[in-house]
Amino acid sequence: MIKWIKIAFRNILKNRRRSFVTLLAIATGFAAVSLFRGYADNTYWGLRQMAVRGEGLGHLTVYKDGWLNKGKIDPDRYMFSKEEIQRIIDLVEEDDDVILATPQIHISGLVSNGRTSAIFLANGVIPGDEKIIRGSWSAVRPVKGDGLSDARLYGVEMAEDLAGHLDLNLGSDAVVMASTLDGQMNALDIEVIGVYDTGSDATNDKYLRVPFAFAQSLYDTEKADRVVVLLDDWKKTEQARTVLLNRLSEAGLPCEIRTWNELSLFYSKVKGMFDMIFMFLFFIVLVIVVMSVVNTMGMAVIERTREIGTLRALGLKRRGVGFLFAVEGAMIGLLGSILGIVLNVGVWAIIRAVKPTYIPPGVSTPVSLIVNLAPQAMLILAVFLIVLSLIAAILPARRAARQNVVDALGHV
Amino acid sequence: MALIETIHIKKDYRLGETVVHALRGIDMSIDQGEFVAVWGPSGSGKTTLLNLIGAIDDPSEGRLLIDGQEVALLSDSKRSELRNRSIGFIFQGFNLIPVLSALENVMLPLQINSAPFSEARKKALRHLDEVGLSDFVHHRPDTMSGGQRQRVAIARALVTNPSLIIADEPTANLDSDTSRKIIGLMRDLNERVNTTFIFSTHDQRLLDNVGRLVRIEDGKILNGGDAQ
Repeated sequence: MIKWIKIAFRNILKNRRRSFVTLLAIATGFAAVSLFRGYADNTYWGLRQMAVRGEGLGHLTVYKDGWLNKGKIDPDRYMFSKEEIQRIIDLVEEDDDVILATPQIHISGLVSNGRTSAIFLANGVIPGDEKIIRGSWSAVRPVKGDGLSDARLYGVEMAEDLAGHLDLNLGSDAVVMASTLDGQMNALDIEVIGVYDTGSDATNDKYLRVPFAFAQSLYDTEKADRVVVLLDDWKKTEQARTVLLNRLSEAGLPCEIRTWNELSLFYSKVKGMFDMIFMFLFFIVLVIVVMSVVNTMGMAVIERTREIGTLRALGLKRRGVGFLFAVEGAMIGLLGSILGIVLNVGVWAIIRAVKPTYIPPGVSTPVSLIVNLAPQAMLILAVFLIVLSLIAAILPARRAARQNVVDALGHV
Repeated sequence: MALIETIHIKKDYRLGETVVHALRGIDMSIDQGEFVAVWGPSGSGKTTLLNLIGAIDDPSEGRLLIDGQEVALLSDSKRSELRNRSIGFIFQGFNLIPVLSALENVMLPLQINSAPFSEARKKALRHLDEVGLSDFVHHRPDTMSGGQRQRVAIARALVTNPSLIIADEPTANLDSDTSRKIIGLMRDLNERVNTTFIFSTHDQRLLDNVGRLVRIEDGKILNGGDAQ
């Protein structure tokens, strides 16, 4: 085996220029796929963080069975009562993977500064729990001002653009109006104690975050429409959903549970788009690698026809000749992948040093272009390209192996 | 029993519409230890005959027996094994593997047969020493003279201790002094180790040294076909 690797390696070195072009094609393809994978991974991570912590979706959201279809028509019927909320929280928090289970209520209505009004969508949250859910995200999109507090029932956090439209600043007072669950108009005073950027143009002019008790008070209810669950690891989401659904069902609490990615349409759409681009890119690289290796090995077979004849005359079997060229193809894949890793790390280092930023569509502020180094993905890609190069070399290798010995020896 | 026996061998080539009769019925036998030259004008069928005896080509008709074994009945794989074990080749153009050193070239037939590295190296060094190339073992073919390359080819042909060595015009690309040395070396090995040599040549010096001369013309043996 070692002798064939030696011969393959020396033949690659012998045709330096041609080998270099082939290796460069493979390396460029490798780096392109790997860098995009790293970029996509980081984007998925960012979007996941944005959904779970930024949007406050947690990993799982528990609804009463029927809420998603009929909750808008008859909310009071499909909301959790105070007792149900407590039972759900107790049952959910039995699970060791659960960090937190907290009730929430989504409300909507009008917010007015006394002169003009605007529509708002608000999430009624328990301030202490919300801090836990936001976690490290607070540093990414910090709230200006004090932020929500159990001690300040009427203190709310307002999205930047909404505050701007209503000319409200930290400490400003305003009024929110909404229908109670019974259909009566209700109005409450608020004080803007926090201003934040939602990160999305679509929501930055509508969103409020209010204390849970305040939201209940506005809707004149003691109920909640959902219980948000935060897990210690997002990878456990599906497993936790199954476990919790069973547990709640057995306890006589028929519920529906949605995961963070099901609720975050933005994440799903971006992921779908990125996956499609990745497949497209991957297919292009696949074609480039196959064409390059087939071309290189085809040339090698033609140039070394006499050598093939000599090896056959010395007693090398047909499969031995095929193996020799297949090893050479695999080695081209290996060296191309190594060069690709070097190229990948080089570009990654440059991106880290330059720290470029860009504004994605629908996002309100610039975000950094960050590319993850993904060693496991690189390893898988390298193995794939080596196997692909080997397979691409098999066709010319078979042609080499099938040559008539006398014809091969007489080749000029 | 003869080492080589050809029974009415014919070989035809098709060149477009034309059929070329390269060999027109060759009956010949060669015993172990003979030093045989196949001689004749260009296009007489010398190389075709050597290719058939070397089991790298198939006759159109007739039978070829090597050590009593009919070559046509062997699979390609078995025929490769036969070549590796029993036949050594020396080519006019040396046909060394350019990316391998002299030592690696000589080790190659043994390694094709999966011989252990140390054993292959030991044997290759011994044969390179026999052909006077002890100081050139790590040289690659492109850094050696024509005579040195042909000696490497001879060492490579000998390294598996074959019963038969086939040489197609082994001195054609060499100057007269080197040719003389190569001829002497082949003759010496033939006498000392009893290896059978069959070669085609136009070289009168080589013809003067042969044990038996097979004269071939228009694909037929004119004389020297029977073992002496």
